[in-house]
Amino acid sequence: MILGALGLIALIAVGIRIAGGEDAWILQHLYALPALWAALARGTTGGAIVGLVASLVQSLGTFPLIERAGVSWVALDGIISLATPMTLGVTVGKLADQSRGRAIQLDALLEIQRSLAVAGPLSERLTEVAGLTRQALGVDRVRLVLEAGGDIPVAASAPGNFWPSEAGPRASATPCRRLVLSLDAGQGRVGALILERDGDLSAADRGRANALAAHVALAVENARLTEHQRHFARELEEKVAGATRRLRELDQAKNEFLTIASHELRTPLTALQGFSELMLTRQVPPERAQKYLGHIHTEAQRLGRIVGDLLDHSRIESGRGAELSPVPLDLGSIIEANVEIFASQHPRHHFDWPGAATVPALCADRDAVDRMLKNLLSNAIKYSPRGGRVRVEAGLAQDRPGMVELSVEDDGVGIAAEALSRIFDPYVRVANPETSTASGLGLGLSLVRGLAHAHGGSVEVESLPGKGSRFRVLLPG
Amino acid sequence: MRLLTQRLAIDRAPRASAVAGPLLLVAALTGLGVAVGLAGPALPGSGPGLGHAFASGVVHAGFLSAGWILALGGLGRWQGPAIRGSGALVIASLAGYFSPAGAVSYLFIPLILARDAAVWHIRLERAGWCLPRDRRAPFLGAAAGIFLGVHMLFTASLMLGYPVTVPDGRRYLAAVAYDIGASAVTAEWLFRGAIFSALWRRWSFWPAAAASTGLSLMRYLLDPALPRTAELMAGAMFYTLLLGLGSCALRGWSGSLLPGYLATVAFFSAYRVLHV
Repeated sequence: MILGALGLIALIAVGIRIAGGEDAWILQHLYALPALWAALARGTTGGAIVGLVASLVQSLGTFPLIERAGVSWVALDGIISLATPMTLGVTVGKLADQSRGRAIQLDALLEIQRSLAVAGPLSERLTEVAGLTRQALGVDRVRLVLEAGGDIPVAASAPGNFWPSEAGPRASATPCRRLVLSLDAGQGRVGALILERDGDLSAADRGRANALAAHVALAVENARLTEHQRHFARELEEKVAGATRRLRELDQAKNEFLTIASHELRTPLTALQGFSELMLTRQVPPERAQKYLGHIHTEAQRLGRIVGDLLDHSRIESGRGAELSPVPLDLGSIIEANVEIFASQHPRHHFDWPGAATVPALCADRDAVDRMLKNLLSNAIKYSPRGGRVRVEAGLAQDRPGMVELSVEDDGVGIAAEALSRIFDPYVRVANPETSTASGLGLGLSLVRGLAHAHGGSVEVESLPGKGSRFRVLLPG
Repeated sequence: MRLLTQRLAIDRAPRASAVAGPLLLVAALTGLGVAVGLAGPALPGSGPGLGHAFASGVVHAGFLSAGWILALGGLGRWQGPAIRGSGALVIASLAGYFSPAGAVSYLFIPLILARDAAVWHIRLERAGWCLPRDRRAPFLGAAAGIFLGVHMLFTASLMLGYPVTVPDGRRYLAAVAYDIGASAVTAEWLFRGAIFSALWRRWSFWPAAAASTGLSLMRYLLDPALPRTAELMAGAMFYTLLLGLGSCALRGWSGSLLPGYLATVAFFSAYRVLHV
């Protein structure tokens, strides 16, 4: 194209030469055309080169004209027309470059918005945005710093090394212009855009940079809002899924509870009905009647315990809490009595109780402590179907100053890690083939936790499947 | 964070008082030297050529000294390099007057300047006192100067009828030595190195180039050696304008004064064969 413009210059020169005469020099104004052509096609560089060549060719005729005319209006016209091709080439070339720059900027803006609209952390896309900004503004270095919502802002540079020298700025033959722009969006400042160019950063460049910064700020804000919405939707989805899963578990637990509760209630009821019917319909000898009455009493007690557990659980669940009457009590004697009862009832298990010597004084509700211990011992027996050792300990908690701990440890089937978080929930019974025949409503541990919390204490568990479990009740001393 | 702690490289304009005083002093001394040179013919035992030679040396010495003051921005001790360069210029100018062979002493001026500039090379890098970034730049500069020179010879000889001759080789070489050691050196050092570089840091390229080229144009138009005919004045304006703008563009593109210097030397080497 530049060659074409140079050819046109030669054509005009030849045309003027052929036309000859004084008046033919009016055609010198045609030298502006190739400069214009080159400027539109190749921008400032093309316009300047072709304009310079046109001026140089034109000068071959202009100087003799000035020589002939002397200092006159004709000479002045010659000088002005001599400057015209180059001036026109540079000016129109700059306008053409600006127009192309705007088109590139628009493309870059669309690319920036597309890039920021992609899902994923904003920090990962900043480098691409910085590169696009650099391309759009034609600067040498770009750095984007954004508030990440936390303490540390995220930053990206194009090219990667924004600071050419670690030692800081030094003298350079080319001036380096730096522009720091605030990225302001509707919600306030979202970050900063730093531009550097070796050479000029004209007013037009600054205007373009400001416009681009405003668009980048909006795009970043939109990307953040979109990311926030995505995050919120994901969280909501997870919460709904969790709640649905929990509802399913509760529904399943309720069904299991109804089955177990009806079975647990029916067993003593059947015995009560059977023995009372026998005594009502038949002549029973006094010693046998005494025995039957004993059975009726035992089953009635069992029924009473079940109903008591249900009532306590209901009270705890409704937030009313257990009715406690804290009194100074001898924890050692309570443990000793329970260990003795359980040892007599379960000969296959070996109970370890070091004795009451090291047990500190405790102020708590006697009945609640007794029931917590009974539940823990009952569980230890229930989940050690092959017998084994049950170790009971009490003392000051080493890791919790001011707390008294009561622990029950067994060598039973243990609890899987994933089930540990659920075992204190009501109606939950962890499935295990070895303990499938064990009776119970799944309320024991829930009641232990409720009673411990009612005292201002807590319950902890450690367990290894196949190795056993250790429950630890912590109560304020 | 580094972004917040990094020191910004901000170019601060030198304080006017730091520059104005030395510049006024240099202008006064230059004026005095020129007056002495022009008054020389009135002194007994001296011809008019000697006085003009002295004045020419003093003017170039003034340009060189002003270049030092502006390039150092009022900082540093500019007096030493300015006195050494000025003395060498006046001596070379007088030596050139007495014998064309004496003009060889002009060739020492760039060496003296280079020796003094080596002390301040980091600061003078801002004024373009460094090697070009692109190795092709010196060739491009020389080519641009040759092209403009040839074009000027072509226009002057074929279109205006001025003869192109080299009647005395020694005088031609003496004139070229003057261009190499005085005219081109002081023009590039002051107009492109000190003035254009300083203005470019505060304005954009075109205003800085226009201002520095305008000043260099004045320097050539005020030169009493330039014939005062309309076509030669117009031609001088035209070529000096192109040469000045071209040197600024070469300085900006390459980061160095060397390509512009070579362009000026090449152009004036061609100019010296034109008999005006």
